[in-house]
Amino acid sequence: MEKTRAILVDITKCIGCQSCEQACKQVHGFPMETEARLSPTALTVIEEHGDKFVRRMCMHCEDPACASACLVGALRKTATGPVTYDGAKCIGCRYCVVACPFSVPRYEWSKLAPLVKKCDMCAARQSAGQLPACVEACPTGASIVGWRDEILEEAERRILGDAKYVKHIYGSQEAGGTSVFFLSDVAFEKLGFAAAPQQPMPVLTANALGDVPTVVMVGGAVLSGIYWITQRRVAVADEERRER
Amino acid sequence: MKGLSNKITLWRGMVGLIFAAGLYATYARFAWGLGRATNLTDAQPWGLWVGMGTLCGVGLSAGGFAIAAAVYLLGFERYRPVLRTAVLVSFLGYLSVIAGMMYELGLPWRIWHPIFMWNRHSMLFEISWCVMLYTTVLALEFSPALVEKIPWEGLRNWYLKWHHEVLIALVMVGVVLSSLHQSFLGGLYLITKGKLDPLWYSASLPTMFYLSAIPAGLAVTIMAMYLSIRSLKADVDPAVLSEVSRLIAPLLALYAMFRFVDLITHNAMPYMFRWREESWSFWLEMGLFVVGPLVLLSREKIRNNPQTLYWTCAMVVAGFMTNRLNVSITGLQASSGVYYIPKWTEFASTLMILAAVVMAFRYAVIYLDILPKVAARPRWTVGRVAEA
Repeated sequence: MEKTRAILVDITKCIGCQSCEQACKQVHGFPMETEARLSPTALTVIEEHGDKFVRRMCMHCEDPACASACLVGALRKTATGPVTYDGAKCIGCRYCVVACPFSVPRYEWSKLAPLVKKCDMCAARQSAGQLPACVEACPTGASIVGWRDEILEEAERRILGDAKYVKHIYGSQEAGGTSVFFLSDVAFEKLGFAAAPQQPMPVLTANALGDVPTVVMVGGAVLSGIYWITQRRVAVADEERRER
Repeated sequence: MKGLSNKITLWRGMVGLIFAAGLYATYARFAWGLGRATNLTDAQPWGLWVGMGTLCGVGLSAGGFAIAAAVYLLGFERYRPVLRTAVLVSFLGYLSVIAGMMYELGLPWRIWHPIFMWNRHSMLFEISWCVMLYTTVLALEFSPALVEKIPWEGLRNWYLKWHHEVLIALVMVGVVLSSLHQSFLGGLYLITKGKLDPLWYSASLPTMFYLSAIPAGLAVTIMAMYLSIRSLKADVDPAVLSEVSRLIAPLLALYAMFRFVDLITHNAMPYMFRWREESWSFWLEMGLFVVGPLVLLSREKIRNNPQTLYWTCAMVVAGFMTNRLNVSITGLQASSGVYYIPKWTEFASTLMILAAVVMAFRYAVIYLDILPKVAARPRWTVGRVAEA
């Protein structure tokens, strides 16, 4: 299996300096004002929960709900990990916004030709050998990037090595596993983390969609059969009438 | 006659107002964008246009495939007088859904993208293809009503002969396509696990949507027939309405049984009795869509009186709409954290599209041979012309 990239955010190390937010806005050419929530011009934000700072961004699911939902395939999971969006394909149906278990994608409601906006883990920068802008800007090492299996090992090492951590890597199970992980010393539900289903989301629709060929074949056969019987009954009735 | 002409002006006035408001809402939608013209947000990205326009629009148009299957495949000749009305209502219904999409989509000029850009893992992709194909099927099923008005006999006969040859195949394709996308509309919400309220979320959402659409579509067909008899003086034996209505109660009972078993197996029962809006909406839905119609339709007196039957069907339709709006709006409210009430523009544009459907249906019934010609047709056409 090909190696994929992943980000680890250690909430215990975040000082809330918002350097990641600023760096993200800079590489995307967004206006630099600080925003409190994710928006079309804020693809990552630091949310304050008590004295904790929680970074929000796309989770880059292993098997993303948005990519399975998108009818034109504008969203897709790339081989290297990031979930990317092709605005040229998008028709603006917003099913990805409905489908995302983490409520991440943002829509440009104020525009006349609106697109979906979400973090793409700086896919272009990473394939050019650079770090994602947010990780590069982080002064405390609260956000790190690496190969997914190594990042997961590192997260486990931290949890086992220090009793302060909650014994869960958020993102390891959620939505069947993601490529962005969080470590915390406070229960995740107290920090506004979604209690996402512990299974890959596309599985929920795959079963129903798998039925399509069956429905078409069996349905067509049954309908033809019914029609044949109906015709036969009419023919027999005609025959009997003529005999009488 | 004075009373009649007054009534007509009142209705015309209302239609005029609806169109004025709808056109302004259309201007707002395309000049201001979705943000200013709707109350949609990232937390509630689908609102009235999807809940009412798409989910109800497609669901309430299920009468066409059901009646076509009954007449052509099952050989129930007694429903033939209803056939053209049912197909016309469905055809107009699907056209209204496509018109509604032009408002709903953020980039409506790219509505053709799914034809070339495929994602077989997407519920919405399958739905878009089914709707495209089935609208074509409906257009073909309905086409003889238009073609038979062509003055050139050779062309007319050639087309009708061809149509007769492909009709059965067309009906079968229509039944398969309808079965797929009627259920897939429910399938859209399978991915909202953890967000949609347990009173509506279920792995059986596709089955629920399919089973509920057929009785609702039949109810709409009865309503359209009744209105044609009453206001367009179509000479139809009202007994046929009662005949169609006899299908609705068993279908609703089947749906109710599935729904009930499903709620129990999902352990959703406790959610019914909580003091919250979702539970009230649930009981409203149950009362209008299941309990009320089942009680009323079990009484022969109500089935056999066209007017009481009409209002019972209206109840079925209202209950059906409550269900679809519950799935698409009410049931998602708590998890979204916002309280969505559609903006007036959303109501106005939806209402205008509905008014356009009613008008198109009316003119089709007046100028085409939609309803059975029990009485001599010229009598009432001539009568209408004289009035105007």
